[in-house]
Amino acid sequence: MNCEVCQLEELKVEHFEIREVLRCILHTIVFHRALGLLRPKDVDLELFEITYVQCGDVELEKKIDEKIDHFISWVEKHPNKKSQLCLSFYEVKSKQPSWFTNKTERLYWEQWYANLNVTQHPKHHSSKTHHTKVVVDPGESATEERSSRRAMVEASLREVLFQIIKFVNEKKDHLPPISEGVIYFPYETTIPSSSYSAFGMDMIKRMLHSGHPTMLS
Amino acid sequence: MEMDRESGKLEQIVSQFRSKILHVILDSRVPSLHRQQQESLSLSRVRKTDKWFNLVLGDRPPALENLNFSLRNLLDPMVIDIILIRHGSCSSSVDNLYAPSAAAAGPSTETVIERWVVQYDCPRVFATPSGADAAVFYKKIYKKCILLLRSLYSQMRLLPAYRICRQLSLLSQTYNFDLVYKVSSFSHPFSREEEDGMKEYSFTPVEALPGCLCVSVTYRATLSDFNLEPLVSLPPKIITDYVGSPTTDPMRSFPSSKTGAHATSFPSTGLRPPSSAPFQRPHSWSSGFHRGFPPTKTQSLAGSPPAYCTSRKPYDITSPPTDLYGNRIQNHRVSTLQQATAYDEYKLSPPFSTSASPSTPTYLSGANPLLTRHCSETAPVTIPLTGRSTRYLSSNSSDPNRHSLPPLSPRSSKHDASSQESPSGIRSYRKIEGLRAGESPSGLSNLYSAPKVVRDSKDDSGRFSGLLSSSGSPRIGFSRSSSRLSFQDDIDDCEFSCPFDVDDVDVSDSSSRNTESKRASEFTAQSNLVGKKSQDAAVGILVHMLRTAPPLRQDSSCYSTHSLKTEYDGGAGVASGFFLPRKTADALEELNSYREMKDLLLSKSATQAVRKEGKK
Repeated sequence: MNCEVCQLEELKVEHFEIREVLRCILHTIVFHRALGLLRPKDVDLELFEITYVQCGDVELEKKIDEKIDHFISWVEKHPNKKSQLCLSFYEVKSKQPSWFTNKTERLYWEQWYANLNVTQHPKHHSSKTHHTKVVVDPGESATEERSSRRAMVEASLREVLFQIIKFVNEKKDHLPPISEGVIYFPYETTIPSSSYSAFGMDMIKRMLHSGHPTMLS
Repeated sequence: MEMDRESGKLEQIVSQFRSKILHVILDSRVPSLHRQQQESLSLSRVRKTDKWFNLVLGDRPPALENLNFSLRNLLDPMVIDIILIRHGSCSSSVDNLYAPSAAAAGPSTETVIERWVVQYDCPRVFATPSGADAAVFYKKIYKKCILLLRSLYSQMRLLPAYRICRQLSLLSQTYNFDLVYKVSSFSHPFSREEEDGMKEYSFTPVEALPGCLCVSVTYRATLSDFNLEPLVSLPPKIITDYVGSPTTDPMRSFPSSKTGAHATSFPSTGLRPPSSAPFQRPHSWSSGFHRGFPPTKTQSLAGSPPAYCTSRKPYDITSPPTDLYGNRIQNHRVSTLQQATAYDEYKLSPPFSTSASPSTPTYLSGANPLLTRHCSETAPVTIPLTGRSTRYLSSNSSDPNRHSLPPLSPRSSKHDASSQESPSGIRSYRKIEGLRAGESPSGLSNLYSAPKVVRDSKDDSGRFSGLLSSSGSPRIGFSRSSSRLSFQDDIDDCEFSCPFDVDDVDVSDSSSRNTESKRASEFTAQSNLVGKKSQDAAVGILVHMLRTAPPLRQDSSCYSTHSLKTEYDGGAGVASGFFLPRKTADALEELNSYREMKDLLLSKSATQAVRKEGKK
């Protein structure tokens, strides 16, 4: 069974928007992969005019919120960095136990990457600035800027949700069979912060800029 | 034999799939249904129909059954149009809103903002799998249907039409637009202008026999061009000629006020035609300003889910998928045959007609009664009191004496136990009287069985809830019956605070005479004692008398002011047995007499107090 990977479009969000955005994305993915009997629950985002669907399971909600808390704390420790949250679905397969391996292994059949670019809050003009320029009515422009930025984030988030729906529709054959009485496929969330891909790209960029002899062909 | 069984399974999957899709779409595009769905989803019971495709959606709209019937040929496409109706620009004055004619609202424009199409595509003929292959094949189809429904459910909430449905489903405001839907097996192609602003999305088809099941949507990417806005709220207006109880005689005339406005009592029963007097002002209890359907507590659409019944009945819905590969498939064709006989008698709102072929569009609305109000009568709506809704759950719905009000419509009265009319206010639900039929205890089993004669569904576009008739749907009426009975309860038992809004006296001549004599004698005794009580007590007594006073007008009996005047003479007043029709003048005179009595009592108490002080 192959593992299908979906890289969701990157979202530029502010720190206070992370929780809502991730809740929306993760719950939408899980809802589409929870094929057992469930009662859908519509949830309205507070920051955006978007309604997404949850599975209506309180336990699931708690788990996802914990993962999001973990992610937020990681983002706070690594500011100004593009961050990813990976949601993976797997199957548990038993295998021959040995001295160094467990009896079961996880076979991942689907992975979702939510890409967030967490931006800092824009600095507002203060009365103690040394600049002599007179800022004419900064309040309105800041508000307009904020609302336009908010609209952009909302549109982007909506596109991400459409992307999820499209992926769910197009890729169906790789799903494992539905077990009796099971609502959700087993899943895990990880933060591939120190992933090879991210680290490797940084290294390559530095080498290119520094003009390392080995990089020149 | 086995081939038939296999094809029956597939047909069942496809049929349920289409029903589920229709359910998902209607729940999120029909404002009244959306409201109910949100409420019913919170209930814990899961019914058999909910288990299809592992998606619990709550109560199915009653209209669904008839719509399924009309589109029972699975090979025909199912086209669901979501239509935005914009009311013409009109003055937002109060008069226009009161006007019964649609012309006063200005011309309306209709725009298809979404079109959902469910159809077989790429039809092909190939061998039906059998044996173990068949089981795998059907499981695969079923799983893909589950996935498609999940994504459809999410998609419904992301499209622009969802927002306006949400706005409309809130009863807090009225808008200059409305959403209606149309279900048919064909569709008129869009014009070029219409296509310009529309996008299309197709879900990945599900391979099934005899082709691929395709679900696609064409939708307007933005609705900002339509200038959708809430209507101006009504300015507050003091009702100077408040008439009190909804059960007051609607034909009663009142003295005209200086402004010329005349109160018009709306018959709670809806039996009497509107007064020939010009439409002036609905009473404060009338349902004139509700949009969609009135509050869900009183609503007799698919409300709370029926009691979960595990017994198997002849027309029971087939078990959910885990049982699908057993041999317990019910034959829906029998039920559909019965539906055929009932269906011809059923008339939906135009353009649908009884001679319709299955491809005839079904035009229905979850509309605001502002659209249709001019076509139907409104009725007063009683204000339900809390805490009473479950009081008479098991009750006496079959006891006609329980109802102090006549049935809402003559046709509905044809039902016996099955069409107990809701009391007073829920006039707009007379369409839904058919739903209340079927309070049978068989619960789930008859829920989607063939509806019997659908009767009370002739008029009123937009009341697709009226599609479901009769006794075929038992427990759908569960919450409706409770709310209906709670209204009955309210009328009978609750104590109104307003002194003039109780009209619970329905006495014969003799009983009213006794009442008068008792009251007169009471008054005499009280007048002697008042001197010893404080002024407050005197006022309290007076208020009590006013509250317990019979209505100003009674058909067969009334007060005579002579009986009251005898009190002033100090004699043991005895109410005369002479009864005259009462007029407003009489009422005013009586009021004056009460005032005089009050002054007399106060003066007496004052003089007695002075005497006591003098003695000291």
